[in-house]
Amino acid sequence: MIQGRYIDGRTALVHTAEVELGQEALTIDAAGARHSWVYSELRRADDGNRRIILRQRKQDNGERLTLEMDAAGALRLAAPHLFKARAQGVEHPGVVGGVMAGAWSLAALFLVGVPFAADPIARYMPAQYREQIGDVAWAQVNAISEICDDSDEAEAILNGVAYRMIEASGVPQRDEIWISIVDAPMPNAFALPDNSIIVTDDLIAMAEHPDEVTGVIAHEIAHIEENHVMQGIVRQIGAGIFFDVVFGGAGAGQALALASMNLSGLRYTRDDEAEADGRGLAYLDASGINAGPIADLFERLSEMMEERERGEFPTILSSHPANRERAAAARARARPDLPPSMDEREWTIVRQACGGGAGQNAAEDDEPPAEEAPPETPPGPNNAPPEAAPAPPPGRAAPESVP
Amino acid sequence: MTTEPPDVHPFSHTGKFFNAVGLALKNAGLTIVTLTLYRFWARTSMRRRIWSHAWVMGDSFEYTGTGWELFRGFLISLIFFFIPATFVLYIAPLVMEPTSAAWLTFAFYVILVPLFAAARYWMRRYQLSRTRWRGIRMGLDGSAWGFAAASWGWWWLQQLSLGWYTPVARINRARLMWNNTRFGDQPFEFIDDGRSPTHGLWLPFALGWFGFVIAYIVSLLIAGFLIALLAQYGIFSPTNEDGETNEWLMFVTVGITLLTAIVLAYSLWAPYRAAAMNRIASLILLDGARFKLRVKTIPFLLIQLAGWAMIILSLGLLAPLAGYMQVRYISNRLVMIGTPKFADINQPTIAAPGAGESLADAFDLDMGVGLI
Repeated sequence: MIQGRYIDGRTALVHTAEVELGQEALTIDAAGARHSWVYSELRRADDGNRRIILRQRKQDNGERLTLEMDAAGALRLAAPHLFKARAQGVEHPGVVGGVMAGAWSLAALFLVGVPFAADPIARYMPAQYREQIGDVAWAQVNAISEICDDSDEAEAILNGVAYRMIEASGVPQRDEIWISIVDAPMPNAFALPDNSIIVTDDLIAMAEHPDEVTGVIAHEIAHIEENHVMQGIVRQIGAGIFFDVVFGGAGAGQALALASMNLSGLRYTRDDEAEADGRGLAYLDASGINAGPIADLFERLSEMMEERERGEFPTILSSHPANRERAAAARARARPDLPPSMDEREWTIVRQACGGGAGQNAAEDDEPPAEEAPPETPPGPNNAPPEAAPAPPPGRAAPESVP
Repeated sequence: MTTEPPDVHPFSHTGKFFNAVGLALKNAGLTIVTLTLYRFWARTSMRRRIWSHAWVMGDSFEYTGTGWELFRGFLISLIFFFIPATFVLYIAPLVMEPTSAAWLTFAFYVILVPLFAAARYWMRRYQLSRTRWRGIRMGLDGSAWGFAAASWGWWWLQQLSLGWYTPVARINRARLMWNNTRFGDQPFEFIDDGRSPTHGLWLPFALGWFGFVIAYIVSLLIAGFLIALLAQYGIFSPTNEDGETNEWLMFVTVGITLLTAIVLAYSLWAPYRAAAMNRIASLILLDGARFKLRVKTIPFLLIQLAGWAMIILSLGLLAPLAGYMQVRYISNRLVMIGTPKFADINQPTIAAPGAGESLADAFDLDMGVGLI
C-alpha cells in the first residue's frame, strides 16, 4: 500500500489516499470512496517536478493522484510506459517529422516552385496589375529623382536609338517601351514594370561614348523583352507569402513583397542579367552598333567596384557581378568600324539633359569626368535623327503626369 | 478579542536553470530544422516545464495545453487574419485604385491597435483555460472586444498625455483582466484598498519618463568618453591618415549612443515596472485571500537584462529562457495571505476555448513562452 494525495476534480481540496498497485490498474482509497484507474489510460502531469502526478488520459475532469518519488520503483514495474517521454506529453517523433516535411514542402513550393513558374505567371498576369505596380515604381522614381523639364529632345534621341534596336530585333513590346531621363544622384538605368526605362543624368555623365549609354539601354530593353521585371516581382511575392505563412504573420514576408514592388526590390537573378547581356549585345549587332564602348564601360565599372564600397542606394554597380567577364564578352563582339549610334550634335544634346548638370553631378560625385571628346562622326545611315523618334506611348508624353 | 493573523502561503519555483536550458536548446534546434513551425510544440513544452515547477501550498501548477491546439489556432489566424491581411497588403495595391488601396491599408493599421489588445486577451483566456492547480481549471470571462475597445481608448489617452496616463492605463487594464479571471468558479477581485490604485507608481514613473532625456545626454557623454578611450589605446581613430574624419566615426558614435541610451532608459524604467507589478498584486483578492509580491528593482532588472542579452545573442531562439527566469523570480517573491475556502471552489462554468492563441502568434505577443 502506498500513501498518496488524491484530488477529486470537483473541488480544490486534497484528500489523503491509500493506493494499491494491481496488475492492470491501481486502486485509490480516498475520502471514503474507491477509484480504479487502468494503467494504459494514465498519463503523467508532473513534467519532472520530483513528484509523480497521475491523471486520466481521456476526459481530463481534474482528478489527480500525487505520489512521492519513492513510489517510482513499484509504479515503474507495474506501468513502465508512465516513465517514457510520451507519458509526460512529449510529442511523437512522427509529429516532428510531419511538421518538418510540411515546412520544407511549403519552402519548396514557394521558394522553388514559384520562381520556376515565375515566367508563365508573369506573362499571364493581367496588364492592369502590371500597370498598377508600375505606378508604385513611378511614385518611387518621382520620390528619389526629378524629371528633367528640358530633356524632351535628349529623350527623343535616346528613344530614337532604342527604337532602332527594337525594330531591328523585333522586340514585341515595341509600342510600350519609353525612355525617360531623370536627375538622380547615382549612375543608373533600370526598367520599370510598365516597360518604361529610366536613365539617370549621372549615367550619361559617366559615359565617355554615346554607345556606352546605348549599350546600357539595350540591356534594359532585353530585361523588358524577357519579362524579367515581373518575374522578379512574382518571385519576391512568393517568398513573402512563404515567410508569412511559416513565420506566422505581419512581418518579414510582407516587407519583402512590398519591397518587390518598390525600386529597391527590382532585382534580377544572375541568370536574368546574363540573359539580358547576351540579348542586349544581339540588339547592338542587329542594329549595327559597336559593342566596344559598352565593353569599355564594363571595364571602368570593374575598376570602380574595386575602388569603392557599394553604397546603400542601388546603382548600376549593384547586382551586376563579374563586370570584367561581361567586358570580355562585349569586346569579343566589338565592331570598331561602325559609326556611333548618336552623332556629335545628338550626343551633345543628350549630355546637356537635366540642365547640362550631368557633368556637374559627376564632378560632385567624384566620378571621372568625360575626357573623351564627343565623336566627330557624321550621322550614319542608321542614326535616326531626333525628329524621327517615335512618339511616347499614350499617357507618357510628360513624365510628370505619371502617378 | 484578538484576531489570529491570516496564514501566509509562499509560492515557490523549483525549476533548475540548466534543465530549462537543455529544453530550450532542443526546442531551438527543432524550430530551426522545421523552419519555425515546431514553435507551437516548443512553446507548449516550455510552458509545461515552467508551470509544473511553480508551487503553492504543496501543490504544483499544471499546464495542459498542447502543440496541436496552438497549431490549430495558428491555422485559424491564417484564415481570419492572414488572408485579409494578404489581400490588403499584397492584392489591393494591384487590383484597386491607388487612393482606395491606400485608405484600405490605413484602415487595416488602425484596426491593428485594438486587434492587438484583443489578441492579448484571447491569449490570456487560452492560457488560463489550460492552467490547473489541484485539478481545478482557471479561466477568463468577459469580452475580448470590450477589452480591446477600452484599451484603445486608454492607448489614445496615453498618447495625448505624452505617456503620463500610462500608470492609470496599466491599472485599468489589470483591473479589467483580474475582475474577469477565475479560479474554478471563484472570481478574482481587483479591490479598492482605500488608497489610489496608482499609489506609489508616480515617482518611479517620473524617474523613467525624465530618465529618457537624461539617458540620451549621458549616453552621448559615454560615447564620447569611450571613443576617446579607444583612440588613446589606438583601437579606433576618429581621423584617418590624411587627417580627415574617419568614415566609421558616425556609425560608431551612433551605435554606442543608441545602445547605451536603450540600456540606460530601460534601467531607469525598472523601478516603475517593479512598483507596478507589486502594486497590482497587492490589489488582487481571491475569496478573502490577498497576494503580496516583493519584486526588487535591481535583481529583477538584472534578470530582464540577462534575458534580453540571451534573446539578442540567440536571435530570439532562447527567448523562452528569458520568460522562464522571470517567472521563476516572480514565483519566489509571491505570497498568498489568507486561505480561500477550497472546499467551496468547484470547476469553472465558463467554457474553455478549443484552439490556441491564434493572433497572438501572428503578432508574436508572448516571445516564445507566454506570461499570464
